[in-house]
Amino acid sequence: MADVAESTGILEQIRLVAGLRWRILRNSLRKKNNRLDLIGLILAGILSSVLVLGLCFAFYAGAYAFVSSGRSSWMALLFWGIFLFWQVFPVLVAGFGANFEFRTLLRFPLSLSAFYIIGLAYGIADFSAIASLCWLLSMSIGAGVAKPGVLPAMLLVVCVFALFNVTLERLIGSWLERLLSRRRTRELFFALFVLSMISLNFVTPLLNRYGAAARPMILHALPYFAWFPPSLAGRAIAAVAQLQPTGFLLGSAGLLFYVLLFSVLLWRRFAAQYHGEELSETATPVHAGVRPVRREDDTADGLGLLSPQVAAVVRKEFRYLTRNSFAFLTLLMPPLLVLLFSSQFAGRHPSIGGTGVSTEMFFPGIMAYLILILMAPAYNSFAYEGRGIQIYFTAPLHFRQVFLGKNLMLVSVLTVEIALSIGMLTYRVGLPSAHMLLATIAAIIFTVVGQLTIANWSSLNFPRKLEFGQMRGQRQSGMAVLVAFGSQILMGGISAVILFSGRWTGNPWFPAEAFAFLAAAALGGYFASLDALTHLAEKKKETLIEALCR
Amino acid sequence: MPEIAIQTQKLTRRFGKLLAVDAIDLQVTAGQFFGFLGPNGAGKSTTIKMLTGLLAPTSGSMQLLGQDFATHPVEVKRQIGVVPEGMGLFERLTGSEYLHFIGRMYGLDRATTRRRSDELLEFMRLADRPKTMVADYSHGMQKKLALAAAVIHGPRILFLDEPFEGVDALAAGALKSLLGRMTERGTTIFLTSHVLEIVERLCSHVAIIHKGRLVAHGSLEELRAGISDEEGNKTLEQIFVSIVGQDGTERPQLEELSWLM
Repeated sequence: MADVAESTGILEQIRLVAGLRWRILRNSLRKKNNRLDLIGLILAGILSSVLVLGLCFAFYAGAYAFVSSGRSSWMALLFWGIFLFWQVFPVLVAGFGANFEFRTLLRFPLSLSAFYIIGLAYGIADFSAIASLCWLLSMSIGAGVAKPGVLPAMLLVVCVFALFNVTLERLIGSWLERLLSRRRTRELFFALFVLSMISLNFVTPLLNRYGAAARPMILHALPYFAWFPPSLAGRAIAAVAQLQPTGFLLGSAGLLFYVLLFSVLLWRRFAAQYHGEELSETATPVHAGVRPVRREDDTADGLGLLSPQVAAVVRKEFRYLTRNSFAFLTLLMPPLLVLLFSSQFAGRHPSIGGTGVSTEMFFPGIMAYLILILMAPAYNSFAYEGRGIQIYFTAPLHFRQVFLGKNLMLVSVLTVEIALSIGMLTYRVGLPSAHMLLATIAAIIFTVVGQLTIANWSSLNFPRKLEFGQMRGQRQSGMAVLVAFGSQILMGGISAVILFSGRWTGNPWFPAEAFAFLAAAALGGYFASLDALTHLAEKKKETLIEALCR
Repeated sequence: MPEIAIQTQKLTRRFGKLLAVDAIDLQVTAGQFFGFLGPNGAGKSTTIKMLTGLLAPTSGSMQLLGQDFATHPVEVKRQIGVVPEGMGLFERLTGSEYLHFIGRMYGLDRATTRRRSDELLEFMRLADRPKTMVADYSHGMQKKLALAAAVIHGPRILFLDEPFEGVDALAAGALKSLLGRMTERGTTIFLTSHVLEIVERLCSHVAIIHKGRLVAHGSLEELRAGISDEEGNKTLEQIFVSIVGQDGTERPQLEELSWLM
């Protein structure tokens, strides 16, 4: 009979988990062939250490100043700062995914209580927790130096506050894990996250407009914050400093209540995980009852003029776009950006020195910016194909058909986006003169078609696989970025010179004529390039398949 | 004279210093159920990739149904079906949309594509999930979908890499009978599998590749006859082990794992 190992103690298991995390970090460093990545990581580590140490001094000085000057109730502000960092930072980096899934520990012989304690210990090893603990320690030292009698109570409150934070952080983490385990919710989460980051740009204009009106409401809501844990911790310390034991007991009891509440919730979450909660994305089995297959392709979709292969690629690209929540929602960006910029810089709503940029300049400028954003994905157009890329090489087609399908889809999206943006611009700041409008539209055709040729070449030469709804490791190839940057600067430079040449030559229609000629040349060049790209695809197919099938 | 479905001459592929496929000469007659075997890393996948256009040979040539792959790639691809390594699925389409996409990529008209994809989804027992995306399919369901996609255009040669791996018993049974009927009607099936019992039951002819070289090639009877044995009727597994195991590789000693027994 086989020997069976004896069970390991909790402390030994915690040590093993800590060792595992350290080994994962070391191995991830060893895998990075790119030295720049390693240098970047070291620099980030140094900067983080400097930041944490710098803030240690700040928290020390703040605590010292508040306690020594008799304003110890202001300690709540420091607790709030730490609380927000401890809870928000892990949510922000959740998009980058965990290196090691904590739940995998469940296959080892652990009791539920051991699993719970290891879970908490695991939470303390996070960067946000380590940094916050350093700051709490600095605060304690600062308060202790200012008034030594406060130190024992301070240490007690800090310990309970830290326990509260680590419990809440693990609880939010486990909720997020559950939320992000579903592909659809994960994608929506990231899309909303990106959109919320973008919408931060609107904070300043909104504050300028509504800030004064919102101030009384904020002041009215402030007292309610006194019942939150950071305020309770601050009040407990203030009570000790002012020799009010009742206040200290009340503050501490409130804090303990939160610890208890979140511990119960966390215990329930861990218990669900411990008892085999299923987070798998695979659909649950259903009865094999016969349901009619959706006949979604019955209706004509206007692609009948295209060859079957090109039409198939266009349909597939459209479905991929609508199912990539992130890409789909980011299509909202161009009109939003037009709204943002038009409210800050241009036309009827000038905010810079009361003058604003003229419509004649603003219109081509904003269009150039939109092209810059919308064309970027074309430089790695196979990013989301995954293993499906092989179909393009096993199917009986010429690769130019794949490019035609992809480019057609992109151009359609661009057309809709630019039309929406022009509509928004017309509403906000009005249209430019006819010659400038035509020149800009011809310039758009020239730059888009011209870039498509280069972007197709870049997609074949510098492919990089990207995953839907993931942010971790989602980097474009450095060369693809460089090519995109170079060609955008080139196209933008040519366009700017031609636009200005209208002024220099005194002929306002000259830019429109020049761009029309260039657009025609770019179209000719594009179609001429397709055969060459087909040959290149055949040469590059192994690189392409290897890069995308990982 | 029977039509030759697949023929290679000195087909070779190098990856840097590694010689993955070493000048193999292969001949498969049309309508054969052909098993292509070899241990891990022998060169099976590399050979299939070359035969299906996913990998260019370093040297040598190949003809499929009499047409040279290098000079007539589109014509050749039109007549073959393949389940590529990793199945080659577009995961953000539903099963129905994927089959429709593949059918159109092979030039079928929309009505034919729709009819065939409906029939294939029913046959593979995938029709009850019309809105489920391929990404949400189980491994077995993805495999069945990839197989459906490989046959939707009625190929004359079908390349299958481990076709039954992860497929449930019901579908595997139906699939075997389908493949059998396809060969009866003249389709050539080129199959790799590590489950030698399946190969033995389905295939009439077998080739074994080892370290990039073709070490055996012929009907099962010919392979059996080629091995000196007093008992005679050897299984394919025994044939395989006796051919591939001739290079002196020693088996791990079970005595080293005594603590497990």
